[in-house]
Amino acid sequence: MTRRIGRRLIAAAALVLATAVTGATASAAELKGPGYEKAMLCSACHGFNGASRSDAVPVLAGMPAWYFKKAMEDYAAGRRVSPEMEPFSKEVRLLGVDALANFFAALTREASPVRADRAAAERGRAGSAKCAVCHGPEGLGDAAKRVPPLAGQPPGYLRNQMLLFKADKRSPGDPALKQLKAVMQEFSEAQLADLAQYYSSLR
Amino acid sequence: MATLTRRQFLGQAGAVAAAAGLGACATTAGDIGPKSGRRVVVVGGGWAGATAAKYVRLIDPSIEVVLLEPNPRFVSCPFSNLVLSGVRGLGSLTFRYDGLRNHGVTLRHEPALAIDPAARRVRVEAGSIEYDRLIVAPGVDFQLEQVQGMAEHQDKVMHAWKAGPQTVQLARELQAMADGGVVVMSVPLPAYRCPPGPYERACQIAWYLKQAKPRSKLIVLDSNPNVISKTGLFRAAFRMYPNLEYRPSSKVVKVDPGVREVTTELGERVKYDVVNVIPPQRAGAIAVQADLVGADRRWCEVDHVTYESAKHKGVHVVGDATIGLPVPKSGTIANSMGKICANAVVQLLNGRPAPPVPPVNTCYSWVSDSEVMAVVNAYKIENGKVVQVEQKLTPGHSALYAQHAVGWADSIWADILA
Repeated sequence: MTRRIGRRLIAAAALVLATAVTGATASAAELKGPGYEKAMLCSACHGFNGASRSDAVPVLAGMPAWYFKKAMEDYAAGRRVSPEMEPFSKEVRLLGVDALANFFAALTREASPVRADRAAAERGRAGSAKCAVCHGPEGLGDAAKRVPPLAGQPPGYLRNQMLLFKADKRSPGDPALKQLKAVMQEFSEAQLADLAQYYSSLR
Repeated sequence: MATLTRRQFLGQAGAVAAAAGLGACATTAGDIGPKSGRRVVVVGGGWAGATAAKYVRLIDPSIEVVLLEPNPRFVSCPFSNLVLSGVRGLGSLTFRYDGLRNHGVTLRHEPALAIDPAARRVRVEAGSIEYDRLIVAPGVDFQLEQVQGMAEHQDKVMHAWKAGPQTVQLARELQAMADGGVVVMSVPLPAYRCPPGPYERACQIAWYLKQAKPRSKLIVLDSNPNVISKTGLFRAAFRMYPNLEYRPSSKVVKVDPGVREVTTELGERVKYDVVNVIPPQRAGAIAVQADLVGADRRWCEVDHVTYESAKHKGVHVVGDATIGLPVPKSGTIANSMGKICANAVVQLLNGRPAPPVPPVNTCYSWVSDSEVMAVVNAYKIENGKVVQVEQKLTPGHSALYAQHAVGWADSIWADILA
């Protein structure tokens, strides 16, 4: 162990290589549209214009306004437990939730740059029939039934949310989610991870 | 503050040049690249300044932006405590400024030597750069004179509080230390950059010693009567490290590398094999030279909506150099301030009022190689002032929050630079 750390430390000390940060931000990128001056606060974690680069943080670009608003309500009320999002949902409420919801909804939906594991995604596709009943064959959801889109969200985020549903830790006791949580019980953690890879891979 | 005379302006320039080891060159020189349209100059390309430069261009590409930053590369302070434990290399925290050039920011890798708010000019070595609005993001500098022996032994006593060569040297010293050696680190009184940072560092050093030098120990000499950030969480994390001895109310006032000893305010002497003194801090030198600091001679008071200096019109200050907002000197806050100030500057240059937008804060701390905890702050603007709405801590440290921390870092580095 000592030697391993020692080697890493030497590598750390010797290797002052500059890493180029490459992101979703194109050179011609612009920040505009009503509410941008508020929505830009979110980019520290959710990426420029809501195009998350992170495995654990959801993409906001193109998120339906109704779902964004529901998420803010759920975080603020503690139905979704997040030490990060609980305070921020309250800040968003004070800023005016409609402005932010409409800003992100107006953007083109961006798929996560986190690359899906192809084999896992294929296994997930094969087991996705029950999910497709509500979320649709392309994972785009159904606003009329208040079913959110899943396509292109980061796999880590989708997996984490499914695990929370399975353990009844997200919106516990919500009757509208009873059926969803029953479906989650039918899948193992490994199968949920495969489903996450599949829905993340959809465009 | 009255406007500076030309002589004062040049004198200031000479003083900063001398301080920077450039030699005083207070020759008169004309404007460099006369302005054709509206121009914003940003002094300092750290978390706040680089963000501000990029966001001015994103919000209004018709405005020219010049960024003055002496360092050729951006090195992230957040996560740099992981270099001390060998968990990350400094290379993984070092980034090029190319992304900003792609946004049309003109980069000049040199220091600002003086500021003349009345003439709206920043002085650099070859002349002056005219601006319509100036954003100053000078970060912090160290009050080395507060710790006797520190100024004359900067090569032997690392602060490692600006990520870079000092971080690498401190990591080397820890690695070279014999098993059984004693590491001593000091924590200053607030305000200083990154309130939880010293305690995160203590955890990283203790974690490293526990793995690599099991007979060694770390003594943390804290100027404060208790851990000043995430108190309960850090006190709990410290219990993972029997090799970590935490001594509150132990302000280090002297360091003597000859006998490898530090002395506290109470006269207690502590021997070390490796030392890390985090000295008291103030706003970066240019803010002091340009009279942007307040009565405390340390920090800059600003308007909470526009970040315009309380002392000079047309000059805005963002990041760790500011004081008076109920916010920590954190990377996320600096990034927030950079964006909010950029937008305010664009609105003002377009003859519109700046909208009141509060910042956000998230701050992740690594307590081992794989576990993280966090504090999150939400704010609002009330009667023109930033007010905290809520502060929330993670219930403890976990691998899940480490995943969040890595996601935050990748996102925010891109938000600043890509």
